[in-house]
Amino acid sequence: MASVHESLYFNPMMTNGVVHANVFGIKDWVTPYKIAVLVLLNEMGRTGEGAVSLMERRRLNQLLLPLLQGPDITLSKLYKLIEESCPQLANSVQIRIKLMAEGELKDMEQFFDDLSDSFSGTEPEVHKTSVVGLFLRHMILAYSKLSFSQVFKLYTALQQYFQNGEKKTVEDADMELTSGEEGERKMEKEELDVSVREEEVSCSGPLSQKQAEYFLSQQASLLKNDETKALTPASLQKELNNLLKFNPDFAEAHYLSYLNNLRVQDVFSSTHSLLHYFDRLILTGAESKSNGEEGYGRSLRYAALNLAALHCRFGHYQQAELALQEAIRIAQESNDHVCLQHCLSWLYVLGQKRSDSYVLLEHSVKKAVHFGLPYLASLGIQSLVQQRAFAGKTANKLMDALKDSDLLHWKHSLSELIDISIAQKTAIWRLYGRSTMALQQAQMLLSMNSLESVSVGVQQNNTESFAVALCHLAELHAEQGCFAAASEVLKHLKERFPPNSQHAQLWMLCDQKIQFDRAMNDGKYHLADSLVTGITALNSIEGVYRKAVVLQAQNQMSEAHRLLQKLLLHCQKLKNTEMVISVLLSVAELYWRSSSPTIALPVLLQALALSKEYRLQYLASETVLNLAFAQLILGIPEQALSLLHMAIEPILADGAILDKGRAMFLVAKCQVASAASYDPLKKAEALEAAIENLNEAKNYFAKVDCKERIRDVVYFQARLYHTLGKTQERNRCAMLFRQLQQELPSHGVPLINHL
Amino acid sequence: MATNTSVVPVAVPATVVPVLSTNGDFSDLREIKKQLLLIAGLTRERGLLHSSKWSAELAFSLPALPLAELQPPPPITEEDAQDMDAYTLAKAYFDVKEYDRAAHFLHGCKSKKAYFLYMYSRYLSGEKKKDDETVDSLGPLEKGQVKNEALRELRVELSKKHQARELDGFGLYLYGVVLRKLDLVKEAIDVFVEATHVLPLHWGAWLELCNLITDKEMLKFLSLPDSWMKEFFLAHIYTELQLIEEALQKYQNLIDVGFSKSSYIVSQIAVAYHNIRDIDKALSIFNELRKQDPYRIENMDTFSNLLYVRSMKSELSYLAHNLCEIDKYRVETCCVIGNYYSLRSQHEKAALYFQRALKLNPRYLGAWTLMGHEYMEMKNTSAAIQAYRHAIEVNKRDYRAWYGLGQTYEILKMPFHCLYYYRRAHQLRPNDSRMLVALGECYEKLNQLVEAKKCYWRAYAVGDVEKMALVKLAKLHEQLTESEQAAQCYIKYIQDIYSCGEIVEHLEESTAFRYLAQYYFKCKLWDEASTCAQKCCAFNDSGKRT
Repeated sequence: MASVHESLYFNPMMTNGVVHANVFGIKDWVTPYKIAVLVLLNEMGRTGEGAVSLMERRRLNQLLLPLLQGPDITLSKLYKLIEESCPQLANSVQIRIKLMAEGELKDMEQFFDDLSDSFSGTEPEVHKTSVVGLFLRHMILAYSKLSFSQVFKLYTALQQYFQNGEKKTVEDADMELTSGEEGERKMEKEELDVSVREEEVSCSGPLSQKQAEYFLSQQASLLKNDETKALTPASLQKELNNLLKFNPDFAEAHYLSYLNNLRVQDVFSSTHSLLHYFDRLILTGAESKSNGEEGYGRSLRYAALNLAALHCRFGHYQQAELALQEAIRIAQESNDHVCLQHCLSWLYVLGQKRSDSYVLLEHSVKKAVHFGLPYLASLGIQSLVQQRAFAGKTANKLMDALKDSDLLHWKHSLSELIDISIAQKTAIWRLYGRSTMALQQAQMLLSMNSLESVSVGVQQNNTESFAVALCHLAELHAEQGCFAAASEVLKHLKERFPPNSQHAQLWMLCDQKIQFDRAMNDGKYHLADSLVTGITALNSIEGVYRKAVVLQAQNQMSEAHRLLQKLLLHCQKLKNTEMVISVLLSVAELYWRSSSPTIALPVLLQALALSKEYRLQYLASETVLNLAFAQLILGIPEQALSLLHMAIEPILADGAILDKGRAMFLVAKCQVASAASYDPLKKAEALEAAIENLNEAKNYFAKVDCKERIRDVVYFQARLYHTLGKTQERNRCAMLFRQLQQELPSHGVPLINHL
Repeated sequence: MATNTSVVPVAVPATVVPVLSTNGDFSDLREIKKQLLLIAGLTRERGLLHSSKWSAELAFSLPALPLAELQPPPPITEEDAQDMDAYTLAKAYFDVKEYDRAAHFLHGCKSKKAYFLYMYSRYLSGEKKKDDETVDSLGPLEKGQVKNEALRELRVELSKKHQARELDGFGLYLYGVVLRKLDLVKEAIDVFVEATHVLPLHWGAWLELCNLITDKEMLKFLSLPDSWMKEFFLAHIYTELQLIEEALQKYQNLIDVGFSKSSYIVSQIAVAYHNIRDIDKALSIFNELRKQDPYRIENMDTFSNLLYVRSMKSELSYLAHNLCEIDKYRVETCCVIGNYYSLRSQHEKAALYFQRALKLNPRYLGAWTLMGHEYMEMKNTSAAIQAYRHAIEVNKRDYRAWYGLGQTYEILKMPFHCLYYYRRAHQLRPNDSRMLVALGECYEKLNQLVEAKKCYWRAYAVGDVEKMALVKLAKLHEQLTESEQAAQCYIKYIQDIYSCGEIVEHLEESTAFRYLAQYYFKCKLWDEASTCAQKCCAFNDSGKRT
């Protein structure tokens, strides 16, 4: 490494201990590739015979911008690009370069002398301030600044460049000749490999400052919006190292390296890069005249803030808090309200676990609006909405708030926040158990044209909001028994967010949950059990809950009970109401499974109260189902039936297929139970109705492949047919039951004790 | 890869130069002296000036040989005779730094000596051109891309020779240097090890090896020749790897066997003492060295650091003037002058001289750090950060630069940032109490008292230089109302101060006695309380409260 930096010291432009990154004050300089582009421009400007047609000119103009901005490419590649747009021009460019490279130094000198002609005349071909004009002038300026030896060096470089382009094909044969010995070949091969790879990666030589800036901004925006399209972490890092090797003062590269390290979850290197970036930035900040000392202090504040964000990202909350305190202190000392605003938002993020954190958030939103920070303000509103949703505020208020912030987004075209907002709506609708609305919102996000994507390309942005919406979509489909569709969505997710990318955890969890549910429906408890570890790794609370569910299904009641009690306490502490209700339901199920439905009742009532309070409709109807079942066991089927009538509507409207089936099954059971006291005619009628309901339930169960439940239904139907004296139907059902019974060994749970 | 196999200790071909075979002990100093004189001549002939200087210095420290014992110059072979004219001409060109010219006339020479000079001239010519071109590169981003163009060709040729086992010790050395310049560290190490086997007397090869070895583990796995030179090498590398105890042990051994007059060893010992902050010893050794070798410039920067730490203004001034008279365009001289100005609080001038040092020798690492310190003094934090960052970029293991960065951020009141930098410094010097105390202070500022306590305790445990860790620890305990531990710490602190017997005024002594008096008073140990209180009275500032 040492040799890399040796040149660093020979810096004539060191003033006040600060080495200026840009010694010569030019952002660009002449390279052989640039000369080739200049030749191309020159040829394009030629009029008279052999002039380019209008169509070709249009294609060439499209080609020009990337050529001017992009990194240097080899001559053969350049020829190919030009050829695609205009073959005859490629030919003439080739000839011109050949003449120049095989001629003398004076040819190149002459070429540059002639360049400025394109500006002269009454009607110049190139306008001075156009993109091309600026490029030309940059080049002329850079060329005239070259010293005597540099001009010659440039010329030899041009010759080299030309020869490399020519020799491309001959190279392989050449290789064979030189590699006589073992070690030799290895070395050559290594070098060749490296160069080939670098070529693939877009640039092989040093980039000029302009090119480097373009490269960095491009990669950074890709990292943010569409990670899969950016360079892989390893190759990007290699590029950055390369860049830093050529110019250690190029601070922005350190920042990109920080982002890149975040991708691979490397705490150590990312901290290192981040601090390095800010150490460097402090200098450039002090350098720039516009903000002077102010700029310097500013970068310090943001350095601390970014450090906090980094630690937060890696889950080091205590560290993050310390860094944040530091940022707040410095910002306060220098009265930087904008920075303080950012700090406040982060403070909320860190303090989310606390109950009073929403106060912070409210302040943050108000202040942000005051200081005219729309992004921060609506981010605050969104967080507030999320927080309030968990706290059980009514949907209309939340939606109103989101609508208001949406207005803000559209006004300021904050496309990222628009996406988040829609994803959030999806989540909120799901939380409230309105699957249709959720589905609609998710679809809306996916089929909407993002504001940015219009300019960047056809591909939509791969941001977190999309991942969230897609996950919801997958889960919603799975709930409705459309497993093929769900797995299709998941497959898409996998492609869009590869397993090692930032948001991959979302779909991983989603995938495992769906698999778990299917395994449970199928009665393959061992399979479900094996999935629990995976779920726990991604979300510990969910994992513990699922573990308890599996234990319960395997009849390990005491074990399950212990786990659930622990989880209950934990979730109550965290105020995770959704999970609390789910746990309460499981506990209740445990009770009535162990034949003590009376104890289950208060638990269920508690769950019902909670879910009503927080407006979790899905969980509320689930609770009502349980309650009705408990009543059925307690021998008051009439009550149960009236209770069910209350719950059945939302379930059928929005519930999962499995729940629909369970509800219908329960209705049928209740009908039969309450029919016991009826007179025979009415009884037969009731039983007929029950059979109908059972059929419906069976259909639902069949959709989600829940054989165990189908078996129960069939058994029940057979008994009913028997009572009604319909032998044929009875026998059919009995046969079905027998088939299923052989397939699935019974776990010895009495039939009736199953919701 | 191919070199790996040839690393096994090779018996040196006895026919080449019989006297070059060395053994591992120091029993025959005369033999060693003969070898040193011989190798000094050989290296001089090949233009390896530093190795030649080193060998000659070491030979000088041994008693002179009688005439009868003097070695005749090695016999001239047929090949040497053939190349004699070309060699003589080329050597003359080489000496006046016309490397390309030298290489031109040596082309085609068969003898080993001429071949080496041929390759070496080409290498140096490439290096020179590289340095010249760096100033004249096309643009800022291309700066780092300037390469020694000759390296690749040299590597190809040398590796062919190496495969054919036609390289002698010097050739292997050059091959290794070329590999190192191409950043092929692993291969370079193998080649250097081989070079030391073939020609153990050549100090340059050992020195290059030193630069490539980064930790103790690497050292363990090297198979080095069993030569007396190995002792010098080990002592040197222990100093580099901050394993000072081992290094001092080795140097003491070398002195015991008869190298007591060697200025090289004396200076190395002084540097070692400097590294473990034994300032008095280091100072006395350096003074001795100056007496022996008054015109020596090497290592004088270290000496000036010591004088600086002890604030010995007049001595530093004398040294600076003296060195300036000897040669004012030496890196060490600039450094000494920089230190001198710094001590006189003329920090702008100091920074100027450090910059000059960097211009003279871009590979001189310490100057960046020192420059950073100067900017810190001038409260130019941004420039200080820049300078430290440069130092780190050059050498990631420069703990002073990391420490300096930490201090800068401390000035900027960003203790959390400091933590990171101090931690890095601490990683590099796990047993340096200063980093630990600094870490402790940061934790204290961040209100992380448990960590702070750990740091202070550890600082005390590794041997506190400034003797402040215990007081700070005690105060922390005091703050946490852990009076028992606080008292213990104060007691230890007082014991510490009295046992080392320094007369230097310790500000915290009175605090300690006062706390102890109060503590004993609370414990109803009246006698002890009164003793402590009486001690307390001896200090001026302790009467604030009772």
